[in-house]
Amino acid sequence: MTTSRTTAIPTAEPRRKGGPLLDADFLRRLERLAIWAKKVHLGAQKGERKSKRKGASTEFADYREYVQGDDLRHVDWNIYGRLDALYLKMFLEYEDLTCHLLIDGSQSMTFGAPSKYRFAIQMAAAIGYVALAGYDRVAVEIFNGREVQRLSPIRGKASAGKLFQFLENASPGGETYLGDACRNSVIRNRSKGLAILLSDFFDPEGYEEPLRRLLQTRSDIYGIHVMAPEEIEPDLSGDLKLVDSETASEVEISVSRALLKRYRKNRDGFCESIRRYCVARGIGYFPVSSDMPIDRLTLDVLRRGGMMR
Amino acid sequence: MWDSLLTWMTGTFLNPAMLGFLGLIPVIILFYILKLKRTAIEIPSTLLWQKSLQDLTANAPFQRLRKNLLLFLQMLILLLIAIALARPYIQALGRSGVSACLLIDRSASMSAREADGRTRLDMAKDRALQMIDQMGGGDTMMIVTFAENSDVLCEKIDDRTRLRAIVRAIQPSQSRTNIRDAVMVAQSLMLAQSDMKLYIVSDGVIRDLAQIGAKMVNTSYVQVGETRDNAGIAAFSIREPFEGQGTRQAFALIHNESDKRLRSTLTLYFNDRAAAIEEIEVAPQADGQFVFALPNDESGLLRLDLDSKDALALDNRAWLTIRPRSAVKTLLVGPGNSTNAVFLKRALSLDPRVELSAVEFADYVVNDEFDLTIFDNVAPEEIPYGASVFINVAPPVSDFELSDETIEQPLIVSQDREHPVMRFLVMENVGIAKARKMTLPEGARALATTTASPLIADLSDPDHQILVIGFDIAESNWPMRLSFPLFMQNLLSWTPRMTAAGGETVNTGRPITIMPEEGLDTVTVKTPDGRSETVKLDPSRPSYFGQTEIAGPYIVQYGEFKEIEHAVNLLDRQESSITPTEALQFGRLIAPAEKDNIMQNKELWPWFLIAALVILALEWYIYSRRAWL
Repeated sequence: MTTSRTTAIPTAEPRRKGGPLLDADFLRRLERLAIWAKKVHLGAQKGERKSKRKGASTEFADYREYVQGDDLRHVDWNIYGRLDALYLKMFLEYEDLTCHLLIDGSQSMTFGAPSKYRFAIQMAAAIGYVALAGYDRVAVEIFNGREVQRLSPIRGKASAGKLFQFLENASPGGETYLGDACRNSVIRNRSKGLAILLSDFFDPEGYEEPLRRLLQTRSDIYGIHVMAPEEIEPDLSGDLKLVDSETASEVEISVSRALLKRYRKNRDGFCESIRRYCVARGIGYFPVSSDMPIDRLTLDVLRRGGMMR
Repeated sequence: MWDSLLTWMTGTFLNPAMLGFLGLIPVIILFYILKLKRTAIEIPSTLLWQKSLQDLTANAPFQRLRKNLLLFLQMLILLLIAIALARPYIQALGRSGVSACLLIDRSASMSAREADGRTRLDMAKDRALQMIDQMGGGDTMMIVTFAENSDVLCEKIDDRTRLRAIVRAIQPSQSRTNIRDAVMVAQSLMLAQSDMKLYIVSDGVIRDLAQIGAKMVNTSYVQVGETRDNAGIAAFSIREPFEGQGTRQAFALIHNESDKRLRSTLTLYFNDRAAAIEEIEVAPQADGQFVFALPNDESGLLRLDLDSKDALALDNRAWLTIRPRSAVKTLLVGPGNSTNAVFLKRALSLDPRVELSAVEFADYVVNDEFDLTIFDNVAPEEIPYGASVFINVAPPVSDFELSDETIEQPLIVSQDREHPVMRFLVMENVGIAKARKMTLPEGARALATTTASPLIADLSDPDHQILVIGFDIAESNWPMRLSFPLFMQNLLSWTPRMTAAGGETVNTGRPITIMPEEGLDTVTVKTPDGRSETVKLDPSRPSYFGQTEIAGPYIVQYGEFKEIEHAVNLLDRQESSITPTEALQFGRLIAPAEKDNIMQNKELWPWFLIAALVILALEWYIYSRRAWL
């Protein structure tokens, strides 16, 4: 299969923890899933999803009055004969869905065992594969500071190799500017659909800005909050100077029980505030730990969270 | 200002130089600054940590202080250790310029061993060393030891090393306690320096305390010792048979000072052969008298052993030499038919040693032939050699006065039982019609005293032994009393010849009298500890050998063929009564025993060290547990 061949491509990516992104067995199971879009969107091409657009399928959708300029071929002549009025008969259109995978590829994501970045691209691969398998379009953007590595929309299961290769070859680094990155992304991609942001949300400017930007697209938004186990339960002791991996700012701490307690409280508070923000705006929020098995996450958590079914 | 700081430091610390360690405080601060180079760890984002830290510091009061808590604790530890090393003390010996005079008792009773195995002298030396340790800058100390004789070991020096060496070198003596000379020396110095303080380091078993005047101000009594477990031979003497009948007897007085009944054996050796053994029993704090009949009149050396394991060993053995009886040439000068003469002749004739002659005063010429001359109501121009007794007449001694003023029915209120002439005498029952008032010169010794004046006095000088009786014997009932013949016997024993003959014993520390021997310039004295000393003889008067610190037989060798043994013994009931005195009484002044509190400069360094350790532990705890940070 294409996928297995693709995942088997060896790469020189230094932070790769070895092994294929996703194994073949897992991919087979993913094929049974489909991305669940809450809203009906306009697609770019014919696909398997109901579109807002009325089109050429055999499934009846609605009638509407004729206005000048309409294609006469769509006029329901039976109605005209009965009512002496011109009505257009409209049919449902099935189109595809564009699934935007936005991955935070900043330096902070490279931490953790397994690294948050590796975990994020694995998830992106999984979600992307599900989308491709469902004849949806998949676009990937990896934010490295001000830089963006972009995979233009691809479609079809056959393109899965391209997706995996892109994910494998992209390299993380740079600071986090999620707000700007999302704004640019929104401007570039007018197509609505699904936007999934995979990030640790460690943005000095706050997590609200990127999510707000994404909301402007009226797409279905999901935020996957990736945390390393070390961040959830830090294993530190003694007098330390903590250096921020991105900004190089320093914090001198003397690890004490009180400090750790305070840290845990802040960590929970951080997650909770993101969750509240998301819930209030209809954004799906998934806090995940990078040591969580990827299959369980996809097959269980995301399904239950309503992203897939 | 620096001077006063320096004075304060020397007054507070024994070793102020150690405060120099405080100079390490900057080092600690430096270490602290260096220590702040924390381990750098790169983490994804400091976002949460920063917030946590802000929360924490915002909630923690005095957080600046806490941040430096360890630094403060370390500086405190260093401060405490430096203070501890500087050896702070409280209750100093005194301020600068105070001098102390230590009178250290090294008499026989100080050889008593206490429960911890140390002798009292060891304890006294320790106390003295302690006091030397506590001397401040500018303090001086003078050390005098006393036993039978006093020694000034050093005069007012401030060199502590030398003082320590002097104290350590003090040896015990086996002689009695005689504090008078030591006190006189000290007092003469105190006159010159009024701020001098006198410390008597002793067990308080001091015989002649009553003879010290009441001028003992500024005196502390540093008491050592506490045991009273002792039994000893308090007296050992020969009793001549009464009127020449029967054999001689050895008399022993055993004193039991302890609280327990003494059950022991008393063994008498004659020339190192056991001659008699007696099982004895003496009640607690009582005396027991024991008499041994001597088998013959042979001369030789008697030794008495008391088998008692007690604190003081040296009073468990005594020696006595037995001599062939030698005659005491006695001359009675005065009216031959007077009542006095009759009484005296009768009393003297009781003693077989006496070779009595009598002469009228008109026929008397001073000669040195006689051992004892009794002047009955007459006085010569010059005092003869030997012992002289003056009855109711003043001898030609300067400063002595026997006034014509009389005291009717004088009452004898005290008597000096220590004097050999007064031994075993009971004078209280003697009735006297009238006595003459006496004024004694310096150095004279009153042997019996009435309410108004001395009655019998010893006016001896180095060349003469002089006794004055201040009343007429005929005008009293003394001759009817038992004390009269005893007095006469004592008088005979007191004569130089009898003393030299060694029939009795010499107290340790007192000189042995050596009579001149024709044709000999020197004699050799062999001491019990094996030394041989040569003594130069004076052909006209007796010579003395004074190095008799050790009890035992001393052998005086006259040339090759003649040797005389002299017994030197402690034989002192008071020294055997080793119970320490709780207070010394000088006249109306009482110096209570200062056992521990005196001069015990409490060194405080252990407390500072403990505090430093506690804070160190606290610092470690805070560091490792971060209890406050």
